[in-house]
Amino acid sequence: MATLNTSSGAKPHAVVSHAEWTEARRRLLVKEKEFTRLRDQLNEQRRALPWERVEKAYAFDAPSGKATLADLFDGRKQLVVWHFMFGADWQQGCSHCSFWADGWNGVVEHLKHRDTTLIAISQAPLAKIEAFRKRMGWTFKWVSAANTDFNFDFQASARPEELKAGRVLYNYETVEPFSDQMHGCSAFYRDGDGAIYHTYSTYARGVDTLNVAFQFLDLTALGRDEDWSQPHPSGWVRHRDRYER
Amino acid sequence: MADATFRSQSHPVVAHAEWLAARREFLRKEKEFTRRRDELSAARRALPWEEVTKPYVFDGASGRRTLAELFDGCSQLIVYHFMFAPDWEAGCKSCSFWADSFNGIPLHLRHRDVSLVAISRAPLAKLQAYAKRMGWSFPWYSSQGSTFNFDLNVSFTPEEQAAGEAFYNYEKRRIPTSDLVGISVFARDDAGKVFHTYSAYARGVDMMNGAYHYLDLTPKGRDEDTQPGNPQAWVRRHDEY
Repeated sequence: MATLNTSSGAKPHAVVSHAEWTEARRRLLVKEKEFTRLRDQLNEQRRALPWERVEKAYAFDAPSGKATLADLFDGRKQLVVWHFMFGADWQQGCSHCSFWADGWNGVVEHLKHRDTTLIAISQAPLAKIEAFRKRMGWTFKWVSAANTDFNFDFQASARPEELKAGRVLYNYETVEPFSDQMHGCSAFYRDGDGAIYHTYSTYARGVDTLNVAFQFLDLTALGRDEDWSQPHPSGWVRHRDRYER
Repeated sequence: MADATFRSQSHPVVAHAEWLAARREFLRKEKEFTRRRDELSAARRALPWEEVTKPYVFDGASGRRTLAELFDGCSQLIVYHFMFAPDWEAGCKSCSFWADSFNGIPLHLRHRDVSLVAISRAPLAKLQAYAKRMGWSFPWYSSQGSTFNFDLNVSFTPEEQAAGEAFYNYEKRRIPTSDLVGISVFARDDAGKVFHTYSAYARGVDMMNGAYHYLDLTPKGRDEDTQPGNPQAWVRRHDEY
């Protein structure tokens, strides 16, 4: 037996011979392959979902000036928006969204070559966004939805009256808002005539697979080591430049 | 209907209420999938470990390092088996695609008791030159001169290459090249013993690609059916597009 030191104490773990190890690993591999196929099916079903047309004319604040939703596609057919939690009066972007961004900042260039533009949109004014983006060293495009309904229409911000009432639509149901800003990821498609369609949005734990660090942690003995019976299971996450060591 | 030019058929466009109803129904399936995934992760953690007794030594930026030293003070080590054979001029382009999505996360993983490193057979000087070219900062070690890559089934001997067959992804199969991709996980206990807890190969590394998860949310998806047998034909190193 070996000992595994988790946040909630030491736990014994079975140690076996190579032959036994391989046999147990092979059994899990069968389940993993089933899971991969299940995921392929789920992705196929997602692509089969109907689209809705986006009719509203949003005007975002971008580094180059005002930008429409169509402009944000940057000449490509697909746009993916990370709804980055950063309220108008916040001093910095959300530490958890930043954790996600540390992963996806590196893949933007590759996605361009699958006809896809990946950007972030927040409620904070552009000047705050730009300063924070510079601090974190990210190169992705990030625009402000201040002065538009965009964040409210896509369940990414709660209006003052919703906060007051303690009720907001999030992840397709009415819930108590956990903040004035809420994370999510939305996908849009633009056809040859320039019409824009909202194809998909995901919220809450729906963004889990979009965090590459969690996928690596899921391979380890300790896993994520987050106790979800406690109030702040992900309380260990900091901005990359704010960890103590 | 929209002119979904990437498909022969067009795509249904509906009113918001209908869109929402379809999306809500799909959300139930997504939640089921998330629970299945949590179960799988728990089953993975329950796998038995095997002790690593061979004294492997690697070349790194600060000198020769044992496997135990690669933990860098953490109790867990994840090794990305980056395909880069001694005689290659550059690292594998698909591994480079993966690395672009994990280069930003090692510091976060450290705070979950995990040291994330890459290991390849190419000599350290080649690894360092390539990491500099790609702008990466994750630790990258050379296993040249050790049997590490062969023992973990990600590099193949000249005999195996000549036969075109080797043990990979827990079965004997055809191997197209001298090195293949994998991810291995190790744990270290308080007494300093090192255990091999897990290895994934082939499509088992799919979940660890940060770009695919985003593409999977889009109408076109990965869109990789264009070249039969070579789905990743579109992938280039980020400075070669």
